[in-house]
Order: sequence, then structure tokens, then C-alpha cells
Amino acid sequence: MRFRAKIVDVACLNHFSRVINTIAKLAKTCTLRLTVSKLYFILSNKVANGGVGMWCELCQENFFDEFQMEGVAVEHNEIYLELIPENLSRALKTALSAKAVKIKLTNKHCPCLRVSVELPSLSSSSRIVTHDIPVGVIPRRLWNDFREPSVPEFEVSIYLPVLKTMKSVVERMKNLSNSIVIEANLSGEMNLKIENDLVSVTTQFKDLGNPPWSLGECQNSAEGRDLESMAEARIDIRKLQQLLAGQQVNPTKALCS
Amino acid sequence: KLKCLLHCFLLVFGRAIQAIARISDEFWFDPIEKGLALRSVNSSRSAYACVFFSSMFFQHYCWTAASQPHQKEKQLSLPCKLIIKSVLPVFRSVNVLEKNVEKCSIYTTINDHITFQLLCKHGVVKTYNLTFQECDPLQAVFAKHLCPNILKVHSRLLADIMIHFPTSQEEVTLSATPMKVCFRSYTEEDTDFSKTMLTEIQLNPEEFDYFQVGVDSEVTFCLKELRGLLAFSEATSVPVSIHFDISGRPIAFSIEDMLLEACFILATLSEVEKERPSQQAPCSAQQQESSKPRPGKREKDGDAAAAAPPEPQWCENSLKTKPVGPANPWARHQIKREVTGLEGRVLTRPGERAALTGEAAESHYQKVMMLCSVSAAVSHFYHCCILQFHSLFFGAVCPKEDPISHTFHSLATASDMEEDFGTMQSSPV
Repeated sequence: MRFRAKIVDVACLNHFSRVINTIAKLAKTCTLRLTVSKLYFILSNKVANGGVGMWCELCQENFFDEFQMEGVAVEHNEIYLELIPENLSRALKTALSAKAVKIKLTNKHCPCLRVSVELPSLSSSSRIVTHDIPVGVIPRRLWNDFREPSVPEFEVSIYLPVLKTMKSVVERMKNLSNSIVIEANLSGEMNLKIENDLVSVTTQFKDLGNPPWSLGECQNSAEGRDLESMAEARIDIRKLQQLLAGQQVNPTKALCS
Repeated sequence: KLKCLLHCFLLVFGRAIQAIARISDEFWFDPIEKGLALRSVNSSRSAYACVFFSSMFFQHYCWTAASQPHQKEKQLSLPCKLIIKSVLPVFRSVNVLEKNVEKCSIYTTINDHITFQLLCKHGVVKTYNLTFQECDPLQAVFAKHLCPNILKVHSRLLADIMIHFPTSQEEVTLSATPMKVCFRSYTEEDTDFSKTMLTEIQLNPEEFDYFQVGVDSEVTFCLKELRGLLAFSEATSVPVSIHFDISGRPIAFSIEDMLLEACFILATLSEVEKERPSQQAPCSAQQQESSKPRPGKREKDGDAAAAAPPEPQWCENSLKTKPVGPANPWARHQIKREVTGLEGRVLTRPGERAALTGEAAESHYQKVMMLCSVSAAVSHFYHCCILQFHSLFFGAVCPKEDPISHTFHSLATASDMEEDFGTMQSSPV
């Protein structure tokens, strides 16, 4: 089992850092799945308990200049590692001006991801900062736990408003109630509602646009649905706020189903 | 009597206070003719800080020794101890301070108060009256020039290095060879590597303004205590000099320019040669309770059996203090009774708690920090030996050793009050 990768481009490094930072804010530990062409950050789907499930897929070519991986076995050419994303985030935090960042899987005292950051320095040779991040290797028999979650059945799918705006709205609502109701319809309208004994607050967003899902993807016949009627879901406001607060990557699209 | 005025360097002064605050909750406020010295030592005596502002640092500095007519000799002003928590709020938000405060005036009053008066914008005047305790003077003597390894580096570089370590990282190991210098997170033998993230930074000698490594060494010191100095030195933008020796000897971080001098001396961990098996010699009764939970630690187990009358190698004559003035019967008495380490020189203690059974103790180094008095009025010698961030009492003839050698104690050699030992707080670093 070997893994070795290198990033030299500053923009790629920053983007990668921001993805890691976002993940670090969502979960204490997560699973990193490495394949020949992709990296996945996975948080097991604990939706049943009201928890947060996450699946993050990155195409390695977008970030790494060099990427070599050999999985546990030829026919299962993948590596699953359990790690604390906060550690990785911290290692990359001070690497913003690095000349190069190398990541390698090593096993000195225990399996580690060794992050070597080559920093520019006043002298001829660079300054090298090395961080050894302990990881756990997940055995093959548990790999099935980490399958890609399928998008659950939905009635309405809508593009979200600018996340910053949504975040500040939700943050203020957090003080008033424990749960929030998200309502949306197929006309591009979305409401965020909270209610307590004294007051109820609704924030309305219009003209958001609805993503086009092909018929095969959404099982409910949404095309037969009244365009104006709202579908609603009630969720824990703190979880939503945590999700929004952690977002550091500026998405081109964020959608909610 | 002191009266001084601070103007432009308020930020520097504030940062100095904050740096000292990281060492201890109280500090010594010691004005002398040449300037103002602020000193502090932590409860375990493993860190000492001294910042000296020359009179030129202040816009106006006036100090007079109070002389009482009924005393025969000129009374040197005793330094006093302030609780730092009371001073810190004054200088807490130093950045805000700079914007709002036009002048800061520090003066002593008749009724033994020290007053910090801040003249702020818009005619606002904030006055802080702080009481102080008179106390024995404090000064450490550490012969920097005897250190074989000296590095000089701009404070910005040092800060850039330390930023890679998490703020929770307590201890850091500096390892130096003539070829390279490396700072890394400190790990003990029983560290759980599967849970700890380790960081290491390698530097080329060329990065240093001055680089001298006479002896390959690895010293481990407490990073938390140093961070204050880093912020302070950045404010002054004076380069930082690092003087150190082999493991066990103190490491000194100092900055020096025309207006001020600062020195932070930190104890370092002491290492036993790896091949030496850990000696679990029959401990003296005092040591028993303190036996380290971790085997193979570099603690020296005192061996009661081998407790020959301690024969410390020290030389009375070369005790470097300011002239102690008229022969003080106290002083001589103290010297005979106490062991005093000298200027960072190795002090081996074959007796009492020092040696491992049957092994030569020479290679077993102890950090020695000698705190000695400078006043004529009282001559108390503080002596402490620091080992692995634990200081052992060096009570030469003190029968009542503190049973908790696991922790720090300073030998208050004040007079003949051995009960002082018991009162010193022992706190894990």
C-alpha cells in the first residue's frame, strides 16, 4: 500500500486547503478514500440519527501535479484511511506560500500521512516543515460502509441563495429556536421559517431557480406537481448553521433537495 | 522613588508585561538609577524573565534612592513585587492602547503604591494604583558567554517557525549540529503516536544572522513560556539571540539594544545516555513518593545509601554578584550552608539525590539556575537545580527535604528557616 502526491501550484493548494477546512468544520474524524483518479472524503451516513452525512469527491488531477497510488491489492486498488481532518487542515494552514507540498503515506511508529511543506527561505536551501499526521487504515471488509449515498427521494429541488446570506440569516434564527423549517417549491421560491412561543420569523428568497433533474433521477413524479406548492422539511438549526458556517469553498452551485 | 513617563514605546512596554505574564502571575518591579527592571520567575523555577528598560527608553525617568537619615549607610531601594494580574489589564489591549493613550506615567507614592497613569485622548485619564509587596530581590545569573552554541535570528523568523506548532504544543526540541538546525515537537518515550501529530522544521544555518554550534545538542524547552518573548521581540524588531548548551543546561533567549535588554532563561530537559539502564535504585524515603510514573525516565533516583555527605563542586570565590557591601554575617553563613551553582557550570552532586547508584554522575547534567541577591541589605541566595523541568532541592544540610521532588521547589536559603521549603508551591509545569 503506497501513496505519494505532490502539489506545486499555489492556487490548487489554496483550494485544496479550503476544502479540507470545510470538512474539518463538519466532522471530527472522517474517512479518506484514495483511488487512482479520485480522492473522497466520506462521513458515514448517519442521517437516521439526525446526524450529518457527507460525501466529497475530488478529482486528483485538479489538484495534484504528481499522484501515485497503490492500493491494498491489485484487484482492489484503493486505500481507505481514517483521519482527523483538523490535523490536515492545520498542516496546510501554514503552507499557503509554499513552493511545494508533498503528501506521503508512511509507517514509522504507526501509519501516518507525512505532509512535507517546502517553504521559501532567505537562504539558498528551502525551509522544510514536516507534519506527521496519524491515520488509521480501514480494512477491506469495512469498505462497504462507505458507499456513495444515493440522493434520497425528493419532491422539490432548488438552488440555494448565496450561502453567505443564508448563513447570516440562519445564524440569527439560531438564537430563537432549535429547529428550522425549509420550504421550497418548483418556482424558485424558498422560505426559511422558525417559530417559538413569542414570535415567528420567515425569510423569503425568490428567483432561485430549480435544477433540472432528468426524469430517471427523481422517482416522484415531480413534473406533475403544482409549481406553487411548497414542500417542507424541518431540521435541526444548529446542524444547518454548522454546515453553512464551515463553507469556505465558494461553490458555483449549491442545491438543496 | 520612581517617576517615569512613557510615550512612544508604550507598545513595547505593554508587550513586555504580557510576555512576563506568561511566566508568572507576579513580577518584580525594580527601578534603579540606570533604568527599570522587570523580572519574573515561575513557580517551578524553570523559567526566568528579565526585561530591563534603560532610562533612555522613557521620555522622562527619575529615580532617587530614598535615604533615611537614621540609617548609617545608604539604603538601596528594595525591589518590590507586584501581582501581574493587576497590571495586565492596564496593558492588555496594547493596540488599542497605542491609538488612545498619549502618555503613560508610572510613579511611586509615599504610601507605598505604584501608580500607572494613562493619559488618553479626549482628556480621559486612567489611574491605576497598585499595592506591592516588598520582597527579596531576584536575579538569575547565567553565563551566556560560556555557551558553546549561539544562534542569532530575527524575531520574525522565530515567529514564523513557532507558528507551525499548534498553540497547545507545550514542549519543543531544538536540535543543532553544525550542518543544520531543527525544531520539532517533543515526544516522550511513551507517547501514543497514533494520536499525536508531530511537526518538524528544518533550517539551514544560512538563515541565521549568526550561527555558532560548538557542540551538537538537543535541548527541549517549554514553548508556551517563550511565546511571550516572541511577541515582545517582534514589537521591538531587535534580533533574538539564543544561547544554549547540551541538554539539561538552561537555554537563554535574549534581545539587546541601546534602550532595552531582555532575557528569558528556560530550563531544558535533561537526558541520560540511552544505553544506561534506568536506575531504580533504592530511593531515599523522600524520593519514594515521587517515583516517576514512567519508567526509564531520566529522573535521577536519589540513593540514600550512597548519600555521602554532599560534596558539591563549587567555588565560593567566583560567585558573581554585585558587591555585597559590608561583610554581612548572614551572607557568609549562607554560603557555607548552601550549594551555589555557578554561572551555568555543571554541578554534579554525587550525594543525596543526585547520583544514580554506582554510576558516575558526571554525565548527568543538571540545569542550574542561581538566583542571588544583589542587595546589600539582605543577602539571600536562591538556588535551584532543575532537572527535567523538575527542580530538586539543593539543601546542602537540610534534613527536611521536600518529599515531592517530582515538582519544583526553590531553595529559599533565606536565613535559617528551613520550613521555607515546605511552603514553596510545587506545581507541574
